[in-house]
Amino acid sequence: MSVFPALGPLIALTGGALVVLLADAFLKRENKNYLAYLSLAALVVTAGLGVRLWGRNAQAFDGMLRLDDVALFLSFLLLIATAFVILMGMGYIARQDMNDGEFYSLLLLALAGLLIMVSSGHLIVIFLGLETLSVSSYALAGLRRRDARSTEAAVKYFLIGSFAAAFIVFGLALLFGGAGTLEASDIAAAGANMHPLLALAGLALVLAGFAFKLGLVPFHMWQPDVYEGAPTPVSAFFIFGPKAAGFAVLLRLLLPYWQSGVKKEAVFAVLWAVAAASMILGSLVALRQRNLKRMLAYSSIANAGYMLIAVLAGDGTGLLFYLANYLFLGIGAFGALIALSRKGAEYTDLEDFAGIGSRYPWIGGLFTIFLVSLAGFPPTGGFLAKFYVFSTAVREGHVALVLIAVLSSLVSVFYYLRVVVYMYMREPERKIAVDFENPPLFLVLFLCVYGVLQLGLFPANVLALIRHAVSALF
Amino acid sequence: MSIPRLSLVTFLPLAGAVLLIFLPKENKRGLYGVALAFTAVTFALSLPLLVDFDAATADPQFVERTNWLGFGLEYHVGLDGISLYLVLLTTLLMPLAILASWSYIRVRLKEYLFFMLLLETGIIGVFVSLNLFLFYVFWEAALIPMYFLIGIWGGKRRVYATTKFVLFTMAGSLLMLVAAFVLYAAYFRATGTYSFQIFDLYRLSLSPQLQTWLFLAFGLAFAIKVPMFPFHTWLPDAHVEAPTAGSVILAAVLLKMGAYGFLRFAIPLFPDAAARFAPILAVLALIGIIYGGLMALVQKDVKSLVAYSSVSHMGLIMLAIFAGTVAGVQGAIYQMLNHGLSTGMLFLCVGILYERAHTRLIKDFGGVAKQMPVFAAFFLVAVLSSAGLPGLNGFVGEILCLFGIFAANKVWAALAVTTVILAAAYLLWMFQRVMHGPIVNEKIRSFQDLNKRELFYLIPVVILMFWMGIFPGTFLRKMDASVNQYVNRLKNREKVFVARPIAPPLPAAGARAGRAK
Repeated sequence: MSVFPALGPLIALTGGALVVLLADAFLKRENKNYLAYLSLAALVVTAGLGVRLWGRNAQAFDGMLRLDDVALFLSFLLLIATAFVILMGMGYIARQDMNDGEFYSLLLLALAGLLIMVSSGHLIVIFLGLETLSVSSYALAGLRRRDARSTEAAVKYFLIGSFAAAFIVFGLALLFGGAGTLEASDIAAAGANMHPLLALAGLALVLAGFAFKLGLVPFHMWQPDVYEGAPTPVSAFFIFGPKAAGFAVLLRLLLPYWQSGVKKEAVFAVLWAVAAASMILGSLVALRQRNLKRMLAYSSIANAGYMLIAVLAGDGTGLLFYLANYLFLGIGAFGALIALSRKGAEYTDLEDFAGIGSRYPWIGGLFTIFLVSLAGFPPTGGFLAKFYVFSTAVREGHVALVLIAVLSSLVSVFYYLRVVVYMYMREPERKIAVDFENPPLFLVLFLCVYGVLQLGLFPANVLALIRHAVSALF
Repeated sequence: MSIPRLSLVTFLPLAGAVLLIFLPKENKRGLYGVALAFTAVTFALSLPLLVDFDAATADPQFVERTNWLGFGLEYHVGLDGISLYLVLLTTLLMPLAILASWSYIRVRLKEYLFFMLLLETGIIGVFVSLNLFLFYVFWEAALIPMYFLIGIWGGKRRVYATTKFVLFTMAGSLLMLVAAFVLYAAYFRATGTYSFQIFDLYRLSLSPQLQTWLFLAFGLAFAIKVPMFPFHTWLPDAHVEAPTAGSVILAAVLLKMGAYGFLRFAIPLFPDAAARFAPILAVLALIGIIYGGLMALVQKDVKSLVAYSSVSHMGLIMLAIFAGTVAGVQGAIYQMLNHGLSTGMLFLCVGILYERAHTRLIKDFGGVAKQMPVFAAFFLVAVLSSAGLPGLNGFVGEILCLFGIFAANKVWAALAVTTVILAAAYLLWMFQRVMHGPIVNEKIRSFQDLNKRELFYLIPVVILMFWMGIFPGTFLRKMDASVNQYVNRLKNREKVFVARPIAPPLPAAGARAGRAK
């Protein structure tokens, strides 16, 4: 069997990235939007090649790259997310004095890394994907060259990311030394013959590395600084992309452990504590934030905690549904922040949002829907996503963890609604003008609202897809 | 296929809200016209439900049931004798509340009407849901519009009041959500199938310990909503700061969601735990009755006086529910309607005063009756109805409640009677200070009596108060079957399924999650 069907999407994507990079050199400044169209075209081709593989379990390189339906589903989510980020970036880049070509091509390359991560069960390949993603991400975070905070974000991200990568590599070496394999599904079984300390140390190092990348407590410190400093569309990309891929890897790695009998209690207890700490700390610190980008960063730490519950409960369906929903919420919320940015300036303080609700009813209304959904109110997708994750976790006996999660989301209600208070119930001190000359951004916002409501009210089709995909995973 | 009448009543206001988005915001008459038309048609559609309601059966009627998300998460609605009148109360009061907003709401009218209509759909949905999941969705969804109604159009401390309101309610309902998950899992363990349908869940037999925890979680959510002492502190803030129509809906309908929750969920789902906690809850209800009454006596603000009277009255209703006798439960439901009408009307009257005087402090008034004789008559009817004068609706409800409580526990009944005495004291004293005496404030001389619009929304309530006071049978008989079944269910707890305890949190179970379909 030829490797090309399975490789097709990746080839299209990286090819697209290179074409964009090349075209950048030949396009005049006023025609740079063509780069965005080119990138979108590359995404469409990638998606088209991917759709044909649904249900076929295509493989390449002796199963090193395996496009099962979970991989494909996540790939589609990631493609949608990247398309949204590109559309959001179109107006933003020109105003913030960034280079178009680098933004689009780096984004596509980062996406390629993500796709590799989700479509492999082999830890070395996953690591390769992770590094592709990381190198592109460091550069993306620093794209606003004239802003010191953006540079700081890039450097911080780079240092911490390198640390995490070193952790993962060392852990992989230990695991490989003990188990003789790096296939995620086999490590657990092989671990039975391993020295327990070796198995545990290896797994712990790998998990710690991924916890860095996912921003789980206690490895979360970089996240608020990076989200605040990076250009807002890039933050929107960070809030979803790496999380989706990272949790997919965790699920693939840990599910065999839950099913086998080896050394799971220790791993389980540690992850339990990490999930609880992420939820509590994320919510409590978010309370103190006056900057919305930082607030969303801390809220994403809490959300990572919720998703870890799904991993702990072995709930693939809940996790994928949560991610599908988080795609629209996270990107939508950052999109609303972009609507308030102007040439050379971003307005992301709580005070900047005072009175937005009455002066710009559409932006206020859309942002409110995202916030209310993040807070977990029905009938939006945010409620249903939490509902599925929490109810499965309770069914699997994790009542205490769900209680912590529920209390943490009670705290989150307060800080999400505080933004609504500012938008609708406070008089503005200084008036911020909204840039309405940005149709692609509003397209994204409306699509996100559509997604949030669709997933909240009529998610049956998406759920059917997810259940089908997950059933093939085991 | 027949017409989905209940869904029509539930979602018609939502359709109106969506329509409002597309209307120009300058057109005040047009916006009000649409909102009024939609609420009025909703009311008109809900009336035939009362006529066609079959009093002979206790089973839910007008049932609609379709699969929504699978795994027991269904769209399942229906009406029985317990929920029937609460739906009608909502549909009746909504158009009146919107009429009462005409001169009160001056800014952002379009959003205001949008949230009012959204609120109506949420509240009706709560009362018609027969699926715990659906109930929770509506329960939470109704919170958001109220949050905005208080937060944008409220008084000076509106942000504090509305945030407190939301956080209190959410704290209770999130714990209830966890309890619902446990229940859902227990049902799955017992039967191997998923269900959130309440009549399925009624048949589930749970261990005493589990019942206790679940009852506490459900009970807390509902006790906050009612509100029962000591969870009542959000209520005076929310009521005082809310705009008139918001207070009306809050007092008349939203509080009933809590009492209804006890009747529909907390008590029948966990009858043993409910029986065990009944004495404690009864004491809390009694404290609420007396404390609310005493607090109402010393209030300087008319609106917070009415708010504390709600605490007292809801205490009586809760006590009657915990008494668990047929008369008590019927009285409680009847008294919920009465309280909705009388307190709703009191808030309307306070709103009318406030629009003229721009103050609600009792000391700023005096002698208003001289300037507004017609209003004085209406206000007096509301006061007397709330105080339980025979011939008006409040009397029937209170006497039924007290009969029911007396049958269960004579000491409770003796203490509960104080509600009548206290109500008469604080209401009549307030009426005397506001309406009679010399005119101390020169502004009062310029007060206009009721205009046509105000008459239009007060008259239906007054007619209904007399009707419910003189011919209570027309209303009570439709409840009989459902209330009897409810009480019987408590007496003979026929539980079919035995739930096994939840497995310990071991990852071994995790493997099943992905596959368990």
